[in-house]
Amino acid sequence: MRPIDVLVVGAGPAGLAAAIRVRQRLAGAAREPCVVVIDKAARSGAHNLSGALFEAACLDELLPGWSEQRSEFRDHVVPIVQDDLYYLRPTRAVHVPSRLVPRPMRHIGNVAISVSRLVEFLAQRAEGLGVEIHDGFSATSLLVEEGAVRGVRLSELGLAADGTPKDNYQPAEEVRAAVTVLADGSRGVLSTQVAEHFGRGPNPQVYGLGIKAVVQLPRDNPLGPHRAVHTVGYPHPSDVFGGGFVYSLGETSATVGLILGLDWRYGNLDPLVEFEAFRAHPFIRELLAGSVTLAAGAKTIAEGGYYALGPVHVPGALVVGDAAGFVNVEKLKGLHYAVRSGICAGDAIADAFAADDLGGSALARYPALLAERGILGDLHHARNFRQGFRWDLAVGAGLSKVGGRIPVRLGMDEDRRATRPGSRLARDGAHPVDAATFVSLSGTTHREDEPSHVLLVDPSRCAACGADHDHACTHFCPADVYRWSDDRLVVSASNCLHCMTCSVKCPQSNILWHPPEGGEGPRYKLM
Amino acid sequence: MHCIVLVKQVPDVANVPEEAWDREKGTLRRAMLDSVLNPLDLHALTLARRIVGDDPRARVVYLSMGPPQARETLRECLSRVPGQAILLTDRSFAGADTVATAYSLACAIRRIEHELFAGSRDYVILAGMQSVDGDTAQVPPQIAEDLGIDQIAYATDLTPGPPLVVRRIGPAGPEEVTARRHPVLITVTACTEPVYRSFRLAREALEGPISEWSAVSVGARAERIGLRGSRTQVYRLFSPTEERARSCVLVHDAAQLVALIEERYHAAPGPSAELAEAPYVLGDREPSYHGPFWVYAERGPQGVRSVSLELLGAARELAGCLGEQVAALLPCDAPGGDADELIAHGADTVYLVEHPLLRTFLPAPYTLAVAPLIREHRPQAVLFGATPLGRELAPRVAYTCDCGLTADCTRLEIGDYVKGGQTRVGILRQTRPALGGNVMATIMTKDCPTQMATVRPGVLPLPVRDPTHAGEVIHVLPDLSGAEIGVEVRPLTASSVTAPLGDAAVIVAGGRGLHSRTRFEALVSPLAAAFARRLGAHGEVAASRMAVEDGFASRDRQVGQTGQTVRPKLYVALGISGAVQHISGMQHAATIVAINKDPRARIFSYADVGLIGDLETVVPELMRSLGDATHAAH
Repeated sequence: MRPIDVLVVGAGPAGLAAAIRVRQRLAGAAREPCVVVIDKAARSGAHNLSGALFEAACLDELLPGWSEQRSEFRDHVVPIVQDDLYYLRPTRAVHVPSRLVPRPMRHIGNVAISVSRLVEFLAQRAEGLGVEIHDGFSATSLLVEEGAVRGVRLSELGLAADGTPKDNYQPAEEVRAAVTVLADGSRGVLSTQVAEHFGRGPNPQVYGLGIKAVVQLPRDNPLGPHRAVHTVGYPHPSDVFGGGFVYSLGETSATVGLILGLDWRYGNLDPLVEFEAFRAHPFIRELLAGSVTLAAGAKTIAEGGYYALGPVHVPGALVVGDAAGFVNVEKLKGLHYAVRSGICAGDAIADAFAADDLGGSALARYPALLAERGILGDLHHARNFRQGFRWDLAVGAGLSKVGGRIPVRLGMDEDRRATRPGSRLARDGAHPVDAATFVSLSGTTHREDEPSHVLLVDPSRCAACGADHDHACTHFCPADVYRWSDDRLVVSASNCLHCMTCSVKCPQSNILWHPPEGGEGPRYKLM
Repeated sequence: MHCIVLVKQVPDVANVPEEAWDREKGTLRRAMLDSVLNPLDLHALTLARRIVGDDPRARVVYLSMGPPQARETLRECLSRVPGQAILLTDRSFAGADTVATAYSLACAIRRIEHELFAGSRDYVILAGMQSVDGDTAQVPPQIAEDLGIDQIAYATDLTPGPPLVVRRIGPAGPEEVTARRHPVLITVTACTEPVYRSFRLAREALEGPISEWSAVSVGARAERIGLRGSRTQVYRLFSPTEERARSCVLVHDAAQLVALIEERYHAAPGPSAELAEAPYVLGDREPSYHGPFWVYAERGPQGVRSVSLELLGAARELAGCLGEQVAALLPCDAPGGDADELIAHGADTVYLVEHPLLRTFLPAPYTLAVAPLIREHRPQAVLFGATPLGRELAPRVAYTCDCGLTADCTRLEIGDYVKGGQTRVGILRQTRPALGGNVMATIMTKDCPTQMATVRPGVLPLPVRDPTHAGEVIHVLPDLSGAEIGVEVRPLTASSVTAPLGDAAVIVAGGRGLHSRTRFEALVSPLAAAFARRLGAHGEVAASRMAVEDGFASRDRQVGQTGQTVRPKLYVALGISGAVQHISGMQHAATIVAINKDPRARIFSYADVGLIGDLETVVPELMRSLGDATHAAH
């Protein structure tokens, strides 16, 4: 069996772009590199979720001619021709004239896509280039030896809920490679471990939670087939950063979602309630009249921007995509950076491999390429954008106009610390939320007698959380994993969507999220 | 000892995405389901590993018949237990039903024995009991019939020995079966902790070759494979919701609830009764099939099993449409009063097939006892009960008679078939669930003189007993000299095997609304027992996933998407909200009753009868009404 030259953890847009690029550059060379991609999902795309508006030019760079060939992905790419921003009041929608919409937030020329479809497409292309893709394998920790990343450790398999090995117990396998590319997404378990071993950026990483649904619409619907709608304002209070979106995904299909910055202060904020309130707003309801929900899900987005970037090249490993935090919150985009950072990593690796220097310093070319190709420059321009909103929508909007010119770094606090003791959001229960149906629409499954992959560091800390923070996890988890019952926290880990909110937001720092066995979790196909 | 593991790539019916439903047509878009390894085959390959153990000379060979994309499934098998993989693939296999599939696989197995095992007969064939898409469990016994070997069905455990000893659920209960000659075919139920994929093996699986064998390369004759070799044909697929729609009747007190439940419980079962079209009229047209309708009569500890009597009732109706007679076929070692029972329930003729070797059921002698009679008399239809015995015998009989067989029918009727210039008059329309119950299929037999079908017990109504009905008894002495018996069977006591919920006719399930384990135990179990007593049935306790997670009940009681799927005659949901994950486990129950204090609970949209109220008050009232002596159980 060939030793692995490049191990990519995470078969998302960034990881697959890197894998594709390495194989492309060295196709037909005397020695071709062995590139292996692993992903904890059961099949490529199943754990990928995004809005999404995409700057497709990066695909032209990676796979020239992709749009001339037929594929499931290309058939579902929707050019955006109409782009509107609305400020929502409780019953009205105020249209913001386009001249007042900041340039980075204008989306004509972009396309609306499903990222799970994009990933399926990239996976097929990667396999065609000889990349080995192994879905259904969870990596739980980095193998770090003598200060360098040597590979990863996969999860143990076949433990019973009480932690004892069952008949089919399989110990954790180790996967070693000359270079490891960490593409495990927002709040990825391994890329987070990089920070522990090798340090982090000046600001802590902060996140937003995106909750979305894909709906089927009747023909001749009010939304139209080429439209992007963004909203700010209702339903969440102005001190919660975020907004909603509705994108056409075709004649009879659309996606609707709400993104909320996880630095909200309210112990009882329930993002699913906010999402349903958003969907129930008369303006949105009219746009989506007659809709049937086909799929739903949630995932965090790294929003910390430039100042939250940690080291992206460490001995033995490169970090790409959302895992590194390459998201431009001003433009609300991260996908094209994911692809482009993957291309940069692929180029750096290919050059190093050709020079027989995979283990050496040639990989330092990667951060240089990120700068040369404008990724870091873009993020630098938006470097203080997110921080303005930690106070208020109005403050943020104001600051956003000058953020690119402020010579100092605006700080940011960890999301979990923003939750204020006693702070509660008043909600009248007018929008009943069917969490069980939401979870079933994500297709998520886990072996039920598996040990919970969500661990409480110290269960006794949860009792105090009631008075201060209203057992925040029982509200902020979109999958209803946490319930307070009979004076204890009941954890239904099998509902988990792998969104990572709990690992970010628990006010007691009491929740450790840890990947379950491979092949579990959501089954996104249209997201 | 080598192993051949039969595996199949199937649609993932356990995870049907919402977008796979075609709302306008009410059908399932099968292409939108992921393809996975048939879940029971995972257990088969786990047992294969146990059999080959550490013996370096023992080989595991995976065999699958399918289109080129089935290679993925073979790679998946190789990434769990290493071995050799063979894909039997050929365009001429397309459209094969179980008979044609079994023949094709049997040809491939012969080639494996000859080429890969160098002619050694010291091997075992393992397969999952059934596939989730076809769900018939017919292919393995038909392969066994073709190869002339024994089949041990419904295996729950095995020890490789030698000798190989298999624990299984037999027609009369749990048994230990020792295979005395090899090869032997073992079909397994969900009985192991299935072996996981290993990353290392997954990488190796990508490197290793997968052999592709064509029809010609295994010596398969063209007229016996694919569409030509099939003896059944699906001619209609439709949504199960056509079968029934539920609207909940809300009652206000316990006594009313009990009365309604009893009325529904004892009413004629099956949607077939309500949905029957106008009675079939043959007129003076020439029917496509001729001859009587036969029923295979199965004996139980208390005489003829009621499923056989139910089938006689159906046979009478079907035969009546065409002016034909009804006969019953009863293999036994000595006649008892059973012939009279069969005649009283509608048989015009009873064939008593007597032989000492027929004392207890074994597939080889029983097939030899039954098949020649069918070939000789050419009845137009033979109906079997879909009992453990029926599921082993019917496929073998059908295969050896080269006739079509449809298993687990939920509806049987006479009708015409007119499509694309082809007309068939007075055929037996056989309807059954497929794709994990997500779709209904109507099937017809073709290219053979006898239509065969199996029906589960309790689906058809029991006919009225008529002691004045006259019939003829014919004693038949079968020639069983060819019967080779290669297994030894030892019955076991029932304690070791538990399948509590599957057989229960009455299930009372508790959910989160019970709030505590003590309340759950105080309210749910006694209510289950009271219902069972009242209705004269076997009753069990079940729980929703939330209740299990909260510790109210153990996991083996869990009903739902990730628990068991049950089809009892009565399902009572106490304090269960009706989340879709729970509904999927019990939606096919004949009568669903919901008791919940939240009037908006989703469960009420799936229930037939509902009562809104607090469990603390309602359950004791129900207990009182159920215990009311004036309405004692029958």
